[in-house]
Amino acid sequence: MSKVYFSTWRQEQINNIGKDEDLWEESAYRLPEQYNEHSSSKAFIGWDGVALFDKDIDVVKLATEYAHQYQEYSEACGRCAPGRWGGRILYDLLDKIARGEGSMSDMDHLKEIGKSMQLTSKCEIGKTVPKPLIDLMTHFEDTFLECINEQKPSKHYHENVDYIAKITAPCMDACPAHVDIPAYIEGVRDARLDNSLRATRQTMPLAHACGRVCPHPCEDECRRSNLDSPISIMELKRLGADYESDHNLGFYHPGKGKKKAPIGKKVAVIGSGPAGLTTAYYLALDGVEVDVYEALPVLGGEVTVGVPEYRMPWAKYKQDIEAVKDLGVNFILNHEVTADEMREFETTYDATMIASGTRLSKKVRCDNENPETTGYWGAIDFLDRINLYDKFDIPLTDEQKKEYAIDADFVDLTGKTVVCVGGGFTSMDVVRCSIRAGASRVIMIYRRDEKTIIRNTTYEEYHEAVEEGVDFIFHSAVERMNDEDGVLKSLDFNMFELVPDPDGGRAQLVKIDDGDFSLDVDYLIPAVSQAADLNFLPSEWELEMTSWATIKTNGIDYMTSRKGIFASGDCEYGPMTIVNAVGQAKRGASVISRFIQNGGEVTLTDDEIMEDHLRKMKVYDKKEKITGWLAGVARQKSEVVDVDIRKYNNVEVNFGFTAEQAQSEAERCMRCYYIAMVAK
Amino acid sequence: MIKFYIDSKEVTATKGESILDVARRENIYIPTMCYLPKASANASCRMCSIEVKAQDGFVLSCNTPPVEDIEVITNSDSLYKERQNIMKLYNVNHPLQCGVCDKSGECDLQNKTLEFDVSEQSFAVRDQARKKKKWGVHTYDPALCILCEKCTTVCNETVGNEALYIKPGGYKSHIDIKLANCIECGECISVCPVGAMASTEFKYSANAWELDKVPSSCSHCSSACQLYYESKDGEIKRVTNESDFSSLCGAGRFGFDFENRVISKDEEAFSRAIEAFKNTSNVVFSSLITNEEAYVLNELKKKFGFNLVNDEARAYQNFMKSFAKFANSSLYNATIDDLKSSDYIISIGCSIESDNPMIKFGASQAVKYKKAFVSTIAPVEEYAISNVVSLYINNEVGSEEAALAMIADTFIKDKSSQKEFFDSLDFGYLSGESNISQEELSLLKQNYIRKQNPVLIIGEDVINHPRANNIAAIAGYLQKNALFKVMVVPPFTNTLGVSLICDLDEAKSGLSVGYNVSADFTLSAKGSGDLDMPALNQQEGTFVNIDKNLVVLNAGVAHNGYELNDIANALGVKSKNIVDYTSRLGFKTIEFDDLDNYFDNVGNAYRGYKIDAMQNQENLKLDEVEELDEFNGSIVYSRNPLRQFSIFTSDTKQLKQKMDLVGSEQFAIASKIKSGDNVKFSVDGVEFIRHFRVDRHMKGTVAYNPTYNMDSKSSNYRYNQVELEVINE
Repeated sequence: MSKVYFSTWRQEQINNIGKDEDLWEESAYRLPEQYNEHSSSKAFIGWDGVALFDKDIDVVKLATEYAHQYQEYSEACGRCAPGRWGGRILYDLLDKIARGEGSMSDMDHLKEIGKSMQLTSKCEIGKTVPKPLIDLMTHFEDTFLECINEQKPSKHYHENVDYIAKITAPCMDACPAHVDIPAYIEGVRDARLDNSLRATRQTMPLAHACGRVCPHPCEDECRRSNLDSPISIMELKRLGADYESDHNLGFYHPGKGKKKAPIGKKVAVIGSGPAGLTTAYYLALDGVEVDVYEALPVLGGEVTVGVPEYRMPWAKYKQDIEAVKDLGVNFILNHEVTADEMREFETTYDATMIASGTRLSKKVRCDNENPETTGYWGAIDFLDRINLYDKFDIPLTDEQKKEYAIDADFVDLTGKTVVCVGGGFTSMDVVRCSIRAGASRVIMIYRRDEKTIIRNTTYEEYHEAVEEGVDFIFHSAVERMNDEDGVLKSLDFNMFELVPDPDGGRAQLVKIDDGDFSLDVDYLIPAVSQAADLNFLPSEWELEMTSWATIKTNGIDYMTSRKGIFASGDCEYGPMTIVNAVGQAKRGASVISRFIQNGGEVTLTDDEIMEDHLRKMKVYDKKEKITGWLAGVARQKSEVVDVDIRKYNNVEVNFGFTAEQAQSEAERCMRCYYIAMVAK
Repeated sequence: MIKFYIDSKEVTATKGESILDVARRENIYIPTMCYLPKASANASCRMCSIEVKAQDGFVLSCNTPPVEDIEVITNSDSLYKERQNIMKLYNVNHPLQCGVCDKSGECDLQNKTLEFDVSEQSFAVRDQARKKKKWGVHTYDPALCILCEKCTTVCNETVGNEALYIKPGGYKSHIDIKLANCIECGECISVCPVGAMASTEFKYSANAWELDKVPSSCSHCSSACQLYYESKDGEIKRVTNESDFSSLCGAGRFGFDFENRVISKDEEAFSRAIEAFKNTSNVVFSSLITNEEAYVLNELKKKFGFNLVNDEARAYQNFMKSFAKFANSSLYNATIDDLKSSDYIISIGCSIESDNPMIKFGASQAVKYKKAFVSTIAPVEEYAISNVVSLYINNEVGSEEAALAMIADTFIKDKSSQKEFFDSLDFGYLSGESNISQEELSLLKQNYIRKQNPVLIIGEDVINHPRANNIAAIAGYLQKNALFKVMVVPPFTNTLGVSLICDLDEAKSGLSVGYNVSADFTLSAKGSGDLDMPALNQQEGTFVNIDKNLVVLNAGVAHNGYELNDIANALGVKSKNIVDYTSRLGFKTIEFDDLDNYFDNVGNAYRGYKIDAMQNQENLKLDEVEELDEFNGSIVYSRNPLRQFSIFTSDTKQLKQKMDLVGSEQFAIASKIKSGDNVKFSVDGVEFIRHFRVDRHMKGTVAYNPTYNMDSKSSNYRYNQVELEVINE
């Protein structure tokens, strides 16, 4: 709810003109009436209408400025006839009226060209820019006519008002890293995969990884879903990335591809996972010297040791890491940072980013649950062992062999029964790796149903696991571990059913009385969730923590309760996605870069402020009706390795799009760029 | 197949076709300004918008595939009005100087402005100063540019050079260039619908409507691309082509002024020529010749018994003989179109960058449109095509036989029919000598997985290799096994035609008559011999091109002297016109005048006809790989720069360039010479004096030595170990 003087936002018609302020009708949307803590907004104008907060706003100038932004912010545009010339006509004519030199025919021409743009423009900027302009010309016709009839400038024409504009798109808004998705798709469509990757790397260095294993929240907010089905956004990202690694033409960094000259500042990063790599990448681009400390013998964090080879081939992820190295970032492996070092870092570095992830497997909470029992194996440790061997040939130590009761140098589960408790991505990795490790039976225990597991992972992931032979037991839980002499022998299970609440509340899981059963098993792998291991934080810092025992920040600038100490990724948010970690770290790096150069001031750029406003408002409108595109053009689906082959090896399951598929899919993208603008 | 309706007509689309594609195929008109059939849709003009019944708004037809049962409406009042508005927009600030614009008379903007009856302009914007740019062979005038993006699209997709790009910025948008990437092919000029991208040389030299247009085929390399010679007052002013569907390289487009101008027939020289033919032991000729002329020479040989000599074509002929025995087919089976649609390409012994530009264009398109994996096996890395190549395999000079044997071993599964050959391969030895590693071969193998249309390109280096026979046999064997489609690149324009038509010999002692080759009596189309002959842009006839198509050559400019047919007639091999032989070449019995040379509405080429391959059934055994000679020290590679092929391209006004020996820094150090030195060396007994230049992008110890100004093309292996002598003054 926002207090507005006038609004046509999202079809609403609020007109408080002439009404007493106490009687003003409110807007139903979370509009940016307050720009930031220092200043309020006079107006917001965007693709779907206009909202005025301040009575004194000069609507003619506002319209002119919005049209002007189309000329300024048209990096992606000038690429169709209606947009290129039409956009300029809008601006020229509006400015002519605002200057006091307009004529009545200008109003007609504005409306005519506006309509043509709405019908024929290539991207949504061209199609939507005329909308709020026509709204203003219609609702404030008198004001426009006054300028024309009296040949006088609009009321604040010669005054300086701060106009802040931002380009967005529903998918960009939904992406936690705010990747410029339409731009990288345009790169695919233009057969310029180098440009595609450069566009991705503006905010997302890990293109090889996020072109493969991102849960793509963007696709849930793709406007094309309103017409038929969403664009296969994630898979299109992979094209540019693979072009880089397949052709060995160096690295496609964003912009001109060069980092700035060293600025003489140093930042320490704890952890080389997605958040750590992202922080390092963007700081390095800004000319900051970065040291990244990694406890493991390998780089890349959970994407390296957590995500299996068949989903995320090391050779591909390595390319993303090499891109970070290419900028001169210094990596220190096998180095577990201590509290003493953290204290030291405060003086040896200008800032520190903690990006240590969540590497402790949580318990399943069953009776007799004892992590010391042989056969009880935390998911994180299990996947470490699998991936370190598969990707780096690091064998099990004798100690580990004993601990896991395995004879071989690698995780060999031949003939074994494995039970995994979970329902998220990690548990999927566990069960599918178990199949590949030769287990004779692999069971996933999940408290909820099939629909939910698909929602929490992906359709493909679930179905591929089923195809490979994983047994999913839904509405189930482990009741008790049974061991003999400290060796796991069997598990007791309970079954549940969903009982709808007669009062219409949330359905309850209720234990089925005669549903209990037992199974002989060799391994129980808990993959329910992970916790952060933050022992290295100096206790006297008393860093504020969340109720999840993760590091607390305001989720906007990612500084912790201690000045100069930042946190991002899973250790801040709790176990979440790669793209979430990247998004947080990208913002964090941007804040750190200014923090260390501006004498310790935490600031956001206008672009970041607008980004946050837009996310609050939500750019995507599920109810919008799409016109101007043919419905029913099928979403492309890439091929996967045949199940009988992939079950027995680690080859990448997904082949990715063929060039033709990529082209067709890119052609489906509607380029839903929008311009949002605030008058301050 | 998708069934749907366009303007109530029931039509069907195949996978990959857009609504516009189907409409064009069905001869239903939808206007466009930016659509270029040979590349992917730009979608910038928006003219091709259509309506679909029961759906709101306009749909773009160029990049939208149809959906079952939709009813497309290609024209309506509102569509007309919006198309008219787009034309009005295109005309905003477009200079009204058609009188002095090169494009006038063939301008899409002019045509569509009339078509949509734009008689008044209701829109205007403040204009901005826009500077003209001169970029070598082409000039760009941003004031005329309508930003249709055709030029950037061909530069990026068709040519694969990524030189032109759009500098975005709303109304300020314009085209810009990365000049280092430009190969001056002029594709951008050919597709520009307005006068924005123009030929620097042609500018202001003629109006479109004054030019006589003759359809022909390019005579510079074996692609023999379709082109039009456009002339005024008996002089070729420019070359154009069916740019919607086909392409030309810079040599084809700009190297057209190679005709041999003579004032009249030199009767005295002619009678000497007749005598020379009667008394000669040899007739030596190059493959820059039409099929008909080659046929006539062969007929004369039959009559007079001289030896017919063309070492380059004979080497190719021998290569193909050996190839055919193992392929069980007289011809290789790949075409340039196969290359374009390939997803996996290996080349061996070929300069992809410059031997045949359409191979480069084709490979680029394969990368752009099919995500092709491309690997070149050659002692040199051609950096100019690094965005095309995924894997350079640098073999040791001379080791091509070993390389191809290793390829065969890597890809052929059932080795039983050539068991002795494969058993004899000593991988350790071959790998050591050729410098091709097991890793490289497994990378090749790995990337072969799931590929549908692999192509193997066999280049001039192996055709003219001491071990050509066995290399040809292995290549043929690979074609028979259907693991690859194979292309054996004819080194010269009509090498393939000559090799199919002529019975060629080694030279014997005694007198020689040369046709475009210096001899005791020389017939020359360069005007440098004893009797002047017409150049290939002054003749009618046919070539057999790399696609094994017999294509038509027409005269772009007249020749006032004698031609070979006159000599033949005087010697008793009689026919009224040289093209009377076209139907007697031994291919198809189609008369010259009945041969097609055009593209249909959707780009199917109707150019002459395809030569059929003959099938055979032989089961021969491959030879063991022979031990390799070592090449040490300074090595020069007889390789021409892009856009240069022969004596006929060498002097054309727009192609002229310096004949430098070009090598890497490493080559300079190893050879103890420096950039700027003049060096003397000899290759196959021919002495060269060249200015040496370091190209800092190059690697390795092989330098490029251009040989296009030599009148006979060598049939020797193109790599040579040389002694370099610095001869600075």
